[in-house]
Amino acid sequence: MSKKLLHKTTSSFLTFAIIILLIAAPAFYFITQWLYIYETDEVLHFHKGAFVKESYKDFTEKDIKAWNKYNHNVMIVRDMGITKDSIFGEMLFDSIANENEPFRVLYAPVTINGKRYTYTEKINLVEMEGMVINIAAMFLFIIIILLIGIIWISKKSAAKIWKPFYNTLHQIHDFEIDKNKPPHFIATEIDEFNQLNKSLEQLIEKNTAIYKNQREFIENAAHELQTPLALFQTKIDSLLQLELNEEQSDILSSLNNDVSRLNRLNKNLLLLSKIDNGNYVEKSAIILNEYIEKHLDFFTEQAEAKNIIISTEFTSTLSVTANPAFTEVLINNLFLNAIRHNEKNGRIIIRIKNNQLTFSNTGQSTSLVIDKLFNRFSKTNPSSQGNGLGLAIIKKIVEINQWEIHYTFENQLHNFSIRF
Amino acid sequence: MKILIIEDEQEIAQSIATYFKTNGVQCETAGNYTLALNKINNYDYDCILLDLMLPDGDGFDILKELKSKNKTEGVIIISAKENLDTRIEGFNLGADDFLTKPFHLSELLVRMQALIRRKNFQGNNTIVFNEISIDILSKTVTVNNQKLDLTKKEIDLLLFLIGNNNKVLSKGAIAEHLSGDMADMLDNHDFIYAHIKNLKKKLHASGSGDYIKTIYGLGYKWENE
Repeated sequence: MSKKLLHKTTSSFLTFAIIILLIAAPAFYFITQWLYIYETDEVLHFHKGAFVKESYKDFTEKDIKAWNKYNHNVMIVRDMGITKDSIFGEMLFDSIANENEPFRVLYAPVTINGKRYTYTEKINLVEMEGMVINIAAMFLFIIIILLIGIIWISKKSAAKIWKPFYNTLHQIHDFEIDKNKPPHFIATEIDEFNQLNKSLEQLIEKNTAIYKNQREFIENAAHELQTPLALFQTKIDSLLQLELNEEQSDILSSLNNDVSRLNRLNKNLLLLSKIDNGNYVEKSAIILNEYIEKHLDFFTEQAEAKNIIISTEFTSTLSVTANPAFTEVLINNLFLNAIRHNEKNGRIIIRIKNNQLTFSNTGQSTSLVIDKLFNRFSKTNPSSQGNGLGLAIIKKIVEINQWEIHYTFENQLHNFSIRF
Repeated sequence: MKILIIEDEQEIAQSIATYFKTNGVQCETAGNYTLALNKINNYDYDCILLDLMLPDGDGFDILKELKSKNKTEGVIIISAKENLDTRIEGFNLGADDFLTKPFHLSELLVRMQALIRRKNFQGNNTIVFNEISIDILSKTVTVNNQKLDLTKKEIDLLLFLIGNNNKVLSKGAIAEHLSGDMADMLDNHDFIYAHIKNLKKKLHASGSGDYIKTIYGLGYKWENE
């Protein structure tokens, strides 16, 4: 699953921060603890040094008793066989807290009045635990504030930085090469984005030019073909007037068919390029029911050769606002398609319901392949008389008007529906 | 009847001239703008067929020239360039009809005849062929003074056939004439058979001669017996 870029950078950043935090928190705890113990030990050594330097010169045995009476933490006890200063961590009973608590205890040999004693001093580490926890909590608090701040700032600034990028993305998404509206990218302060926009602008400009060229080529080619076709046509018309034998008549007859087929093809190409080029943009309201009914005779006449029955089922009046010429071409093409691809004694049903017009016709007994149905020069039946442009023209007209066309095959009927 | 064909494609002009000649139309041709202006200024024609794209000028300028000289010739534009703008401009500049290339000579002939009839409608708007007479305005046909009940399409077909007297008309040409704007999309011209059959039947029933000949494989021909 793809995610937003911002999300991606933020999430990796967060993962990194969490890992660092997980490693740093215990490490910090242990280091602080070690430091505290180290400092405590220093204090113990320092106290002992002070004791040795200050107190014990004129200490008497009586003084030891008094000392021990008033001092809880520093005691002079009988020699325990200690030869050098040593510090241990011990759990000792604390009478004030009334429970066992961790202590650091210093044992050091001292000599008072020529007699060997052991100097002991203990320091409660309970304070340390509280302190370490406090420090850790503070540390955590600071880190969390820092993290939130960094994420918030990076999100804010990233949104600002990436804004032109999303703008570009949006414009490219909406860009259509056949609409004469090149995207207009906003200038940014970021070099990479400017480069991207510039490259895109060039790419679009180039492709639009190629596309225009291509379109003009089709139009020009079709126009240029009109003159030789006219020559062809007039000569055939002249040839028709001559005395011909049967064989010549047959050839001329098929030539006649060929030239009218060529004419039709060329006119359809011209029509397509006219739609492409956005000619005939003026619109007016057309009532489809009326148009169909008015031309029903003509199409019935066309359908007579195949003995096709045409019926209409209009349950509403459908009025559309569009270019009348193109809309008529659309209806005519749908109608003629329904006749052309029909079978002998077939049926055509024209339905208007709400905003939908449907042409249903009998014909081949399998569904048409939808993929290429509306492509130019795509023919389901290669031998058919059609030139493969009929549906392409229908599609184009539907597209420029933002209507929708659907093909379905149900109950042996091919249905072409247009939603207006 | 004399017409001027302004057309740079000599062969098209020639085909038109040959086709029209046997139907009593005398054609002169002008292959370029200068020659065309010359002829227009020196002679009068019943009708002018005008191609818009000329090697040394624009067909529209010829229309302007005709207008400025108050010439009353009917003009049919025959052009390969067809779009709404050229059509509208053509009509605004005084053209009477517009036929897009490629076209059938038969179509051009009847359009020209119709134009000339419209232009000199001094009283007579009736076409007579032997016992058949057609009143263009009221769209009525009589055979031996007996009114014949024909549909609009059949009258249209009859006019097309008589207008192209003695010419072989392909099914395509007839179909295109009868179906007008729809013609570009039709790939089957068999429907005209029914119209021909009905027209023949009605003419025969009214005692008219059998003028419609079927030409094997090609089409039909209106011919005096």
